[in-house]
Order: sequence, then C-alpha cells, then structure tokens
Amino acid sequence: MKVYDCKQKTDLAGATLLWDSKNNQKITSLAGKNVIKGGKASWDFYWQLFGRNSIDNKGLLIKQYVHFDKGMDNAYWDGRRMVYGDGDGTVFTSFTIDIDIIGHELTHGVMENEANLDYENQAGALNESFSDIFGIMIKQRFNNQDVKKSNWLIGERVMIGPKYALRSLKAPGTAYLNHPELGNDPQPATMDKYQNLPNTSAGDWGGVHINSGITNFAFYVAAYNMGGYAWDKTGRIWYAVLTDVKLTQNAKFADVKNLTIVNAEKIYGINSPEVKAVKQGWAEAKV
Amino acid sequence: MKVKLIRTGGFIPVTKAAETEVNLTDTELVRLLEVIHPDPKAHRIKDGNYYELTVGNNSTPVDLDKVPDKYRALFSKLKSDMRIIKRD
Repeated sequence: MKVYDCKQKTDLAGATLLWDSKNNQKITSLAGKNVIKGGKASWDFYWQLFGRNSIDNKGLLIKQYVHFDKGMDNAYWDGRRMVYGDGDGTVFTSFTIDIDIIGHELTHGVMENEANLDYENQAGALNESFSDIFGIMIKQRFNNQDVKKSNWLIGERVMIGPKYALRSLKAPGTAYLNHPELGNDPQPATMDKYQNLPNTSAGDWGGVHINSGITNFAFYVAAYNMGGYAWDKTGRIWYAVLTDVKLTQNAKFADVKNLTIVNAEKIYGINSPEVKAVKQGWAEAKV
Repeated sequence: MKVKLIRTGGFIPVTKAAETEVNLTDTELVRLLEVIHPDPKAHRIKDGNYYELTVGNNSTPVDLDKVPDKYRALFSKLKSDMRIIKRD
C-alpha cells in the first residue's frame, strides 16, 4: 500500500509519497494514519475471510491520496485509487476519519474487478449498496461488533455533530434529520418508496446513493436475523453474489435478491435458517 | 455577465453553487467552455463530484482540471465561495 499527500492541491500526479508499506516508516499526518489503518483493515477483511488478494484478487497495489483539494468534502474511487478530502470544516471533517468510508471506496475497486455494475439506476444503487455493506462489515470487524452491538451507521464521525451520519443501514432515511445545511436523509428503506431520478449527476445517476437504502436495509434485516457477526454468514452470501459470474453489469434489485437466495441455498441448504433470513430481508425491503 | 458554478454528486449527493459577475465577451465565453468541456468518453467516477457552469439559461458541464491559467483565479474563487443548496 502507498499513501500520497496531495497538499490540498488537485494534481494527483504531483502528490508526494507519504508512506509505503515496504518501508513502514512513521508518519505524523492523521489523515495518513487513518487511511493506513482503514486500508489494512479492508485488505485483511477480504484476504482473511475470502482469500481475496487485494482489489483485483491479483495483489494490486492499493494507492490512497489524502488532503486532496482545499476543503473538499468528499471521498471517491477514480478507477485506480482512493482519494480523500479534508472536509469543509463546517458540515464535514476529514473523509479519512471513518473506516467504513475507506472500506466503501476500496469495495468500489473490488466491484470494478468483478461484475462492474453500471453506475446508474438500479445497477448503480446496487453498486453503492455493495460498497456500503462491505464498508460497514469492515468497520464492524475492526471494532469486533456483532449485529446487535453495531449501530449500522456509515460515516458517523465525518459529519460534524453527534446526531448525524451519512447513511443508516438499519433505518435508511434517518442518518440525518433536520440538518441545518442538508435537510433530511433522502434514502428510502423499501421498494414502494423507490425514487425515479434523472440519470444525471444532479439526479445522482438515477439515485444511486439514494435507492441503495433499499438493498442496504435488506442486508441489515438478513444479518440481524442470522445474528452473530454480519461477516460470518450474511457477508459470505453477499460476497458469493459479488463474485458470482451470474451477476450482470445491468442487474436489478430482483436479480440480486434471487442470487442471494440461490447462493445462501448453496452454502447453507435450501431450508436453512440462513435462507429464511435472506428471504425475510428482501420481504421487509419489499423487493 | 453572471456565471454560476454548480457542483453535484459525491459520497452523499450534495449540490453546492456559487455565482459571480465576470467581464467576458460572448466569444471568450464560448472559447472557454470549449476548452474546459469534459472528455465525453471519461468513465463515471464512483462517488465523484461533477461541475457545470451556468450562464443565463444555459448549463454546460465543465472539467476544472482543464481551466486555463488565465481563468484559474476566477474558478478558485467560485469553488471557495460555493455553498450547499438545501434539498427540498
């Protein structure tokens, strides 16, 4: 893994090498320390649980860029690397502060090397949902939290103010309410509340970060009903789907529903409690 | 003329905008928008931000990495002045 410092500029090619896992030198940058911790937790998660060798399963070098731009309130995966801003200091702090955000971005890379779901409409919402689901599991595993102990919040520290987080898998649409700048969390939890939005950036490419609440909620219900650690059983099923050749680029929610049931049946048996939990999850999300 | 820079997208979809008065001829504006037009073949960046410039009733997508030196200060100011537009 390599970590680069953009020094609040937008020139990624001109960023300075801050840390290299080959040398493992000490660094003082808090953002740097955060992404090293989150990157290691994400790498360990995929390797130790699923035998996956990095983002591409071929040992791809993980590259993370911190302090990107002045006050950038965002983090993203650009197809080759993860990039983090320091936040605007008013609504958001550094996007490196939450381990689930780092796991989320790294999982976008995993997704690009697997089904590479289209980044629009239902396929895009599934793409986002896989990133949220693996991001929260990476955090839960790092913090040794089972399904009852976890609060199921993504980005609970990056948003300034104790009442706010970026998303909730347990209760989509409640991560932030009456926020003075952002208003209310727009995520629906159930399919009957699916939002048909324009396939433009202003429309969030058809609501990829919005409708992902529906499939996030299905995962949460399935994991909660199975109990224990989410990554043990539910995570195993969802990883089997993420890497299933039957997951096509333009998949819809119903396709992933069917694949999770088929994979749960393969792993745990047709009449297993795990299959029932998966079906219950999709039923509660009304998919 | 008045120009407005709008930013959309991101880890949570947030729209931000800022506007300012500029002293550009129509020809200069057309040339600028041509130069900073994004590559239409560029793939969508996951959780990425996108920008557009609005002049009057016309909005054009822009790639801020392509802004010529002459206009850097203008776009830097617009970026730093951007404020969140609260969702309805």
